[in-house]
Amino acid sequence: MTQTNAEPAGTGGAVTLPEVRRQRSLWGDALRKLVRNRLAVLGLAITSVLIFGAIFGPALAPYSYTQQHLLRTAELPSGDFWFGTDEIGRDMFSRILYGARTAVMVAAISTLISVVLGMVIGAAAGYAGGWIDSVILRITDITMSMPSILLAALIAATVKQPVINWAKNVHEQTGFPLFADVTWLDLVIVFGGLSLVFWPVYARLIRGQILSLREKEFIEAARASGVPALQIAMRHLMPNALGPVIVQLTFSFSAGMVLESSLSYLGIGIQPPQASWGNMISSNIGSWSYRPWLVVVPSLTLAIATLGVNFLGDGLNDALNPRSSTK
Amino acid sequence: MLKYFASRMALALPTLIAVLFITFSLIAVSPFDPVKMMLAAAEMGLDNAENVARMREALGLDRPFLLRFTDYVQGLLIGDWGTSINGQRDVWRMIENGFPVSAQLGLAAAVMTALIGIPLGILAAVKQNSWIDYAIVAVTLVLRTMPVYVLAPVLLIVLVLQLKVMTVPRGWEGVFSSKAILPILLLTFGPLAVVVRQTRQAVLDVVSNDYVRTARAKGLSDYLVVARHILRNALIPIVTIMGFVTEGLIAGSIFMESIFAIPGFGSVSEAAFRGFDYPVIMGVTIVSSVLVILTNTIIDMIYPVLDPRVRLEG
Repeated sequence: MTQTNAEPAGTGGAVTLPEVRRQRSLWGDALRKLVRNRLAVLGLAITSVLIFGAIFGPALAPYSYTQQHLLRTAELPSGDFWFGTDEIGRDMFSRILYGARTAVMVAAISTLISVVLGMVIGAAAGYAGGWIDSVILRITDITMSMPSILLAALIAATVKQPVINWAKNVHEQTGFPLFADVTWLDLVIVFGGLSLVFWPVYARLIRGQILSLREKEFIEAARASGVPALQIAMRHLMPNALGPVIVQLTFSFSAGMVLESSLSYLGIGIQPPQASWGNMISSNIGSWSYRPWLVVVPSLTLAIATLGVNFLGDGLNDALNPRSSTK
Repeated sequence: MLKYFASRMALALPTLIAVLFITFSLIAVSPFDPVKMMLAAAEMGLDNAENVARMREALGLDRPFLLRFTDYVQGLLIGDWGTSINGQRDVWRMIENGFPVSAQLGLAAAVMTALIGIPLGILAAVKQNSWIDYAIVAVTLVLRTMPVYVLAPVLLIVLVLQLKVMTVPRGWEGVFSSKAILPILLLTFGPLAVVVRQTRQAVLDVVSNDYVRTARAKGLSDYLVVARHILRNALIPIVTIMGFVTEGLIAGSIFMESIFAIPGFGSVSEAAFRGFDYPVIMGVTIVSSVLVILTNTIIDMIYPVLDPRVRLEG
């Protein structure tokens, strides 16, 4: 996300030029702190590789994710098959790349949906106050009181079949080409389930930010000096509320990848033959003792990917939190 | 104080009913039809439309949604949780059999989390910004990030195949048997990072307080300062995280128990989700949510006891 800006600003921060007066903005400061944090840079690198793999993976993959090499099943990693082949002869490396696309797509879209939902609902609660606020708070309480994996799994397990039936009906009656192939609906249902799990966090975050910022002196000063409400919201409220949201974004991105894998592991997320790290682990876990690499490869990929995003999130948290500026 | 407790309980009840309602509505839209299922199971060609309609009426399934919901809740209260699709077993029985096993594992893991996490958190705080601090924080974070179904096979591969220090632990022989060690450790790894981080932060926050400086100035040993002044104040965040621990244990056991063939609540949940066994899915969701709501309510009640400064909003 910030990857493109990171390099020039990073080198600019390291080489100190006394004759240039350095203008220190909030974001410039944050970027400098982020670049100085080694774990965060590692996280940024891993995240970049992950996103690169997700976008260009299918173009880079040496084989298709469904192509079976029936004479070379369950092979150890080799020159032909970098991560080996699975029990029905599919190339693990290609499947990992396609799995990256699944993971990133699910994580990105469900995070996006939940952040938009959460921002709208949270802002409504924060501005409106009164009974609207308390109703919204209760709803977030209720959603958060169900263990997130169970809520997501419950939604995926119950809603999927009706939605697929509905899509098939629509296709039969109207011939609408979009619904001819319903495999992509798996993804939509996972998006929906995860978004419903994540939005309360954002709603509360935004509501809390608005409530606390609204009373701050600098907002009051802006209001007193006649700055229009919209300008206050855009120039003062948003930049200040954005930090925690960005940090939360990275955390729900990694949580989204893990939850997608978990659902697919349980067999209610992405269905085979679609590639997901979760269903790759699940379908190979039975043979861990005699074909360990088939379990290790998707497991470590998932672990490294989530760790990388989390490191980045921790780094951003330190960088964007003004209270940690002394460090 | 009493008024506060009463209001907390009064908040928990509607939350619980809402959770029941959401679960019930979701199951109601699922393709699960108990009548068709029962008739199909009888295998006598009985599942024609007429029979289905008659049976529906007899069972009261043709009645409005809300009436069916209240019926279901009444059933829950008298222990009638329905029958599973796969195997026609009583859902309450399945949960009743599995739950004690998971509860023992969960309690053992919670104790382990506290026993390992608190000392590590204090150590990290005392050695702040040294390599010990970084190592503790990083390793626990790594362990937390990995889902159980990633850690379990990787640990098995390392311990059983590479190091050959153990055989594959399978089955359940009580919480004190050696087979339970790995499952308990796996359940500990999830919440461990949170405990360590919170303890570390709490200690760091407290250390900068005046009374700790006074204690130091009086010449108290580091050990006494930590034990008497710091630890006590660090208890509050530790209570907070017990909520995370409960949720982590519920979620963790879903993935852990089937890997180790432990006949607990998690195995029941996993089998239910894998087999789209809706009555069981409903049962496990309700039990888990009740657990989380109860834990949160209890935590909220402990707060004012631990810290008189916490304002009671009645």
